[in-house]
Amino acid sequence: MTTAWFDEQSRMSPEELQTVTFPLSRLGRRGYDEDAVRDFLRDVHANFVRLVNERTSLWQEVQRLRRRIIAGKANGDANGALAGEADGHVHAVRVLSAAQVTADRYVADAQAYSSRLTEEARLRRDEIMQEAQRYSDMIMEEAHAKAREAAVTALNAGPSPQTYQEQQAAHAELAYLRTYSDVYRAHLRAYTEGILRGIEEWERKDATSIDDGPRGAHIAALPTADRNGNTYFE
Amino acid sequence: MDVARLRKNFAQVAEHGDEVPLFFYSDLFLKHPEVRDMFPISMEAQRGHLVDALVKIVANVDSAADLTVFLQGLGRDHRKFGAVAEHYEAVGASLLATLEYFSGPDWTADLRSDWAAAYDVIGAVMRAAAQEDEALRPAWWRGTVVSHERRSFDVSVLHVQPEPQLDYLAGQSVAIESPSRPRLWRYYSMANAPRPDSPLEFHIRLIDGGAVSMALTSSTAAGTELRLGPPVGVLTLGQPVPERDILLVAGSTGLAPLKAITDQLTALPQPPKVHLFFGARKADGLYDLDSLEKLAAEHSWLTVVPTVSSDPRFSGETGSLPDVVARHGDWSGHEAYLAGPTQMVQDTADRLVAAGVATDQIHIEDFGWSEP
Repeated sequence: MTTAWFDEQSRMSPEELQTVTFPLSRLGRRGYDEDAVRDFLRDVHANFVRLVNERTSLWQEVQRLRRRIIAGKANGDANGALAGEADGHVHAVRVLSAAQVTADRYVADAQAYSSRLTEEARLRRDEIMQEAQRYSDMIMEEAHAKAREAAVTALNAGPSPQTYQEQQAAHAELAYLRTYSDVYRAHLRAYTEGILRGIEEWERKDATSIDDGPRGAHIAALPTADRNGNTYFE
Repeated sequence: MDVARLRKNFAQVAEHGDEVPLFFYSDLFLKHPEVRDMFPISMEAQRGHLVDALVKIVANVDSAADLTVFLQGLGRDHRKFGAVAEHYEAVGASLLATLEYFSGPDWTADLRSDWAAAYDVIGAVMRAAAQEDEALRPAWWRGTVVSHERRSFDVSVLHVQPEPQLDYLAGQSVAIESPSRPRLWRYYSMANAPRPDSPLEFHIRLIDGGAVSMALTSSTAAGTELRLGPPVGVLTLGQPVPERDILLVAGSTGLAPLKAITDQLTALPQPPKVHLFFGARKADGLYDLDSLEKLAAEHSWLTVVPTVSSDPRFSGETGSLPDVVARHGDWSGHEAYLAGPTQMVQDTADRLVAAGVATDQIHIEDFGWSEP
């Protein structure tokens, strides 16, 4: 072979491959079939061209990415290239930011849920209180009416053997009303405490910290506290 | 330092909105993962705080005196979060990285050195104030809950023993962190005057969706260890105690600072006459009336007027707190202290001014950074 295939200094081109010639073997000695060699060379040439093209386009791609990195660095392009140490960091920042935003959303959801739950409990409690008030009014009115009736009866009838029995009956009625009131109050208390226990249990299960939301102009790069205590709420 | 250039650059960066603080904190946490633990899980409010602080700093960067007071407060305040000198460097580096990233091709070496110089000053003022403060008091106090009393559906009264002793002025507040809500601090006023070896009283109102108030009202039993920040606030009697008669107007748990002021007055040999209006929506919202009426029975100079706004069955004063106060006489010769829901405080202040009370005689909590 006359061409230095392995010479790194003068790397072979496809064109050189096309011009390469082989000396003919002397008559009477065994040699390759000339046509077969030419066919083979044609195949090698085609492959060679393909490889060179691939190499060029890869090189261009490398150059293009390199330019994008430099451009991305220069103008802070949020869609800059994802290569190089600096870009790796920016990529990581973006991933962490996305995770943080997701976490914020979870916490906000939990906070909204907690808010709704407390609001509902508050409403329910108001309803129960009103209902209790109505019952209490009714019981009081009934008791007053009974007392009036008893008084009128007592006045009209004067002392009679029935009076004592009626008094006893009134006492019994009063005792009943008292008992009823106590029972109702106990039920009411049990119900309210049940609600509070429910909230506490939910509270315990939900160990994540929930923010009260921004309130007031209180501030900082490092963590801060909001003001929502005694002088700052509603 | 070119202030105009700095402001222009900041305005340009700020156009990127929430992306800016988001980038800042992610950059900080990636470079210094150990710092992440100093912040709550949700960073939403925190990002708002950062931007607010930066806006305030950039707006006041050429009025050193105002800015210094703000930064000193900020520096002292950050002690309870565990901020130390190294954190300031880390924050500075991430701040520069963030500004550079969002400035794009407009980022120059001059801008970089301007920002670096500005941050050096900011950090130095904050650190110096923190260091000075370190010599005076701890970063935070351990507060052991002595008792927890649920007074109504949504108000609890807590007694908390601080360790070491916590000196404050009646009417001031401290930030409280509950162990079940780490890294979330909320301000609450002490409801009693300072006395050595005596627990602090707090009135906690459950706020719908409020993480800390929820934790404090429902899952804080005796023995719970809270963290308390340093006392802050200007809703105090001042020195010397004013000689004028005093009007106290408290809406709901706004009672706490005003009860502390009343408590402080009980120690005076000759206290001024005090009218304390205590208002709530419903009668059961007057969660501390028993204790106030006991005080009034013991001290002839104290008059307590319970007021309910939407409960016609209530036997005492009914109507909105500002109305009730206004129809109760001439307050022009009084020093007025107001605390409670923002709207109620504002309305009461307006009514008092309209009725001839001088504005410098009306005291409300200032949520800025001035400390007495």
